Amino acid sequence: MIRISCQQASRLLSQQQDEPLAFGKRLRLRLHLLYCDACTNVSRQFAALRLALRHWREHD
Amino acid sequence: MTQDAAANPQLDFKVLAEHRVYLMKVARLQLRDEHLAEDCVSDVLTQAYEKRASFRGDSSLRTWLTTILKNRIVDLLRKQWREQPLELPDEDNDNRIDRLFDAGGHYVDMPSAVQDPAELAQQDGFLAAVQRCVDMLPKRVGQVFVLREVFGTDTKDICKDLSLTTSNVWVQLYRARMMLRTCLERGGFGHAQPR
Repeated sequence: MIRISCQQASRLLSQQQDEPLAFGKRLRLRLHLLYCDACTNVSRQFAALRLALRHWREHD
Repeated sequence: MTQDAAANPQLDFKVLAEHRVYLMKVARLQLRDEHLAEDCVSDVLTQAYEKRASFRGDSSLRTWLTTILKNRIVDLLRKQWREQPLELPDEDNDNRIDRLFDAGGHYVDMPSAVQDPAELAQQDGFLAAVQRCVDMLPKRVGQVFVLREVFGTDTKDICKDLSLTTSNVWVQLYRARMMLRTCLERGGFGHAQPR
């Protein structure tokens, strides 16, 4: 199956922050994000979270 | 370039202690215990002073101290994890996350849009909300997450440091991120932006 659910996509979005995804997973995630606003938002939330923690650490 | 402590007289205890506030902030987030964090940071500064000859000056002093702190924290966590079994059954955490999705695996509530993640990440209000939410994570989930995101440890090293499997680390980090985004939906993503 090439289509994945938001739940599966969210797991991949998280995993992607820790390791490069294998080709098949990356492709499925990309396709999902093309039509899914919810997961696109989650992806940006995860990005904000990562940047915020880096900033928090450096910021006195 | 500084090669050793003798050539680097300014690396005295006072210079090291200037980083105490920073080290305490990180240790507190990681350990959630003021006394433990204080002991830990004192150990780190003492160790750094004793080992000051090995500071090469090719990384920043703060980076070097952060590495010493991370190693000390990993020792403490290993000990804690050995002595206290898991506080919450993992299924409780997973049920909370599963409820965010309907039977078809779609989000029940639409996650908030973030226009500019880099800009949001600079805002004091958002940083305060993130810190509050990290403090509310289940203990172990939070510990793994802070090792990953604050110390920047890669997942392979977390596995080695804490004797966890790769998939377990991924699950912990997924839980952490999902719980944090849920927590930030209540007063982080939506409300920290200027109107």
